[in-house]
Amino acid sequence: MLAVDGLVVRYGAAVALDGVSLEVGRGEMVALIGANGAGKTTLLNTLSGILAPSTGTIRCAGRLAHVPEGRELFPDLCVDDNLRLGAWKADSHDPSQVYDLFPKLRDLSRRKAGYLSGGEQQMVAIGRALMAKPDLLAIDELSQGLAPIVVQEIGRYLVQLNARTGLSVLLVEQNARLAFGLCPRAYVLETGSIAAHGPSARLWDEPAVQSAYLGGHVTT
Amino acid sequence: MRFLHSLRGTNLPATLGVVVIAAVTLVLPEVLNPPDLITYVTIGLATVVVAGLSLLMGFAGQVSLGQAAFYGFGAYAAAILAMHGWPPLLALVAAAAMTAAIAGIVGALLLRLEGHALAFGTLALQLIFLSVISQTPSFSGGPIGLTNIPALSLGPIALSSYRSYAYFVWIVTAVVLLLSRNITRSRPGRGLRAMATSPSAASAAGVNVVSYKLRDFALSAAYAGLAGGIYAFFIGYLSPDAFPVMLSIQFLIMVVVGGLGTVSGAFVGAAVITVVAQMLTSLGSAPSLPAQLPTVLTEGVYAVILLLLLRLMPDGIVGFASRVTKRLESAVPARRARRQAVAATGSESVLGPPAAETVDGTCAGRRQ
Amino acid sequence: MSVLVQYLITGVSRGFLFALLATGFVIIFRVTKVVNFAQGSFAVLGGFIAYSLLGAGVPQGAAEVLAVLASAAIGLVFGAVTILGKMSPTASLVTTIGLALFSEAAAMLIWGTTPLTYNGLSGHDIRVAGIFVQPQYLLLIGVSLVSLIILWLVLDRTYVGKAMTACASNPYAARLSGINVKRMGLLSFAIGGALGGIGGVLIMPLFPITYDGDVNLAILGFAAAIVGWLRSPGLALAGGLIFGVAEELVAGYWSEANETAVALVLMILILLWQAHRRQRVEKLV
Repeated sequence: MLAVDGLVVRYGAAVALDGVSLEVGRGEMVALIGANGAGKTTLLNTLSGILAPSTGTIRCAGRLAHVPEGRELFPDLCVDDNLRLGAWKADSHDPSQVYDLFPKLRDLSRRKAGYLSGGEQQMVAIGRALMAKPDLLAIDELSQGLAPIVVQEIGRYLVQLNARTGLSVLLVEQNARLAFGLCPRAYVLETGSIAAHGPSARLWDEPAVQSAYLGGHVTT
Repeated sequence: MRFLHSLRGTNLPATLGVVVIAAVTLVLPEVLNPPDLITYVTIGLATVVVAGLSLLMGFAGQVSLGQAAFYGFGAYAAAILAMHGWPPLLALVAAAAMTAAIAGIVGALLLRLEGHALAFGTLALQLIFLSVISQTPSFSGGPIGLTNIPALSLGPIALSSYRSYAYFVWIVTAVVLLLSRNITRSRPGRGLRAMATSPSAASAAGVNVVSYKLRDFALSAAYAGLAGGIYAFFIGYLSPDAFPVMLSIQFLIMVVVGGLGTVSGAFVGAAVITVVAQMLTSLGSAPSLPAQLPTVLTEGVYAVILLLLLRLMPDGIVGFASRVTKRLESAVPARRARRQAVAATGSESVLGPPAAETVDGTCAGRRQ
Repeated sequence: MSVLVQYLITGVSRGFLFALLATGFVIIFRVTKVVNFAQGSFAVLGGFIAYSLLGAGVPQGAAEVLAVLASAAIGLVFGAVTILGKMSPTASLVTTIGLALFSEAAAMLIWGTTPLTYNGLSGHDIRVAGIFVQPQYLLLIGVSLVSLIILWLVLDRTYVGKAMTACASNPYAARLSGINVKRMGLLSFAIGGALGGIGGVLIMPLFPITYDGDVNLAILGFAAAIVGWLRSPGLALAGGLIFGVAEELVAGYWSEANETAVALVLMILILLWQAHRRQRVEKLV
């Protein structure tokens, strides 16, 4: 579905991504973990076309939708409008499928997005991205600022979505536990390059990953 | 000795150029005839004003369309004080200080606003200033203006000839430019430079954005007020007609032509535009041509200059020349040369494209 | 008393002119973050184009409409010059200053320096609140009000309008949703041009305009926009009316020479009040 090869992205003279390569297959859920400043958001911004790479290739077999860090809704527009705007490039503006997926949003459809709770906003952000009828959903920092129970709930929705529709998911996270829990395969991004990748279960056991991202004390 | 230390890190051709120009301009008053001496003084005073405006635009990233008002305010203040018995030199200094104070008050209001509210606010200030000056004849001479302004005297020495004013202006200009150079190189200078390209990044780094902008605005007003005061003594006669909105725009163009935030750019811009303005006026004033032609010509040419420069040479002449010389010195690796060029000219092209490579031109991220 | 009503009506009409310009400022600023110094030029050029069209024999009504369309086109071109390519906000502002200068020079070249005017809505004076008012005043007020309402409806109720609002509030997210923010910016400039053109075309029969009238119009339009923090068209309308009426009252009861200065002092007072209010809010938070 998505094949990134040797991606190099610069901010002026500074190198943010230094030869990043990764793949997401059709119907896969893949995680990308990394600390603050590792380049996760830069990578997603490049994938969705906001930034231009200096070198490297991006091949995407379908449509990619990017759910940005911090949700980034349109605060003065209502939930329904936020969703509909997500369909700017799609054929249908009908949000009923999103309401089926996130039933809570149905009651909130006329409320201004700026007045929602964090979890509700995250659902709207994901819903807005889904309105574009993407083949790959890239989510930046799903867990940021959300209570664990809310994150779990949204995570469940994502897994359901993936199982039912075959939607590929690229989950970009600082929270390694969440990422490994939801995705069978993962990459580790450190200061602009891929430091490790493989099945999540194997990465979980690696001491370097343990100490950097998992608190260092967990045993399998 | 400190002066020589501050030269460290400069590029040599630029420094040599500056020394040569300084020497030549120092000698010029000896050989110029009176009309040209007037031009000389005009360029010098404009350089002082533009140095301040360039600092404001290049570092605080704010545009002021009211520098002519500050210039005029300084002129009237100095003249009125001198006519009331103040020693002219003291009147000059007081005028500059008062101008800075006014700018501080206005700036405190306007700099809180988003976007370029200062541009309009200062324009409003200019219009108010012109209106007030024209309407208070007892105070400012009204539309007819002030006459018989005493000559500027430094202690016992009274400046009476154009030539002596020219030397005085040379000294003031040199001091102002050196002062600006120090400001651009000191740590506050670098903090200000960051502000122009990214206020949110700057304030995250601990730079108190609003207070620096205010300080910069007041300083630019002080420069303009000082130059205005000298102008009053030099010409000996003031009227509201001397400070039109077009003058503010002219200062703005001088900044863009010379190069934002560059110290030498102030002189380059002032010199180029003063000469161009005089050429255009004489070109359009030939007896057979329509009366409005000079204005059309001037405004049209200014407009074209601005629009072209912003697209093709946003760094101004100095910035452009600096880039060219750096590229010619190909022995130095490109990246190091660019960093040196930036350090030497003191500007990271506030008029140029934003730092991050964004495809749609807006920096991806929160609104500031 | 009837004199006061006269001033009020004139003031309200000019107030709507400022409100139209102010809304242009607000829309352009919200979508592109550019303060458009050439906003006044749209009014001047629009009015002058209508003048020429009428002079060339184009019928009343059609000439004005064509002139407004021309202003929208000019707005589009100005927008392209200002925001396409990589331009910093300062560069964009200075570009609009250059464009305003250019418009003045072009206007002077084409139409000369004398104030221009043409006949407005013909017909008998209409009786309003005890005095007789030229129908053109009512036309100005009516058309401005309708234009602003239509604009508000478009922004608030249509899909494209909501996309523009989205660009204004969060350009990053708009970009991610596939909305072309630059194109929306151009659209906002075209709308700004049209609004300016409507104002210019309607005001010329009442108050002759000269080639350099753009500066005064722009400044008062901006003052009105500032009342709405450059964000709220509703407050900008209120601001426009306040300044329009204030100007007329000053011109009538004091002196015409002072009208602009007083309006501007008023603007500064409003800014003071706004700053004070914001401080109080910040203290509470």
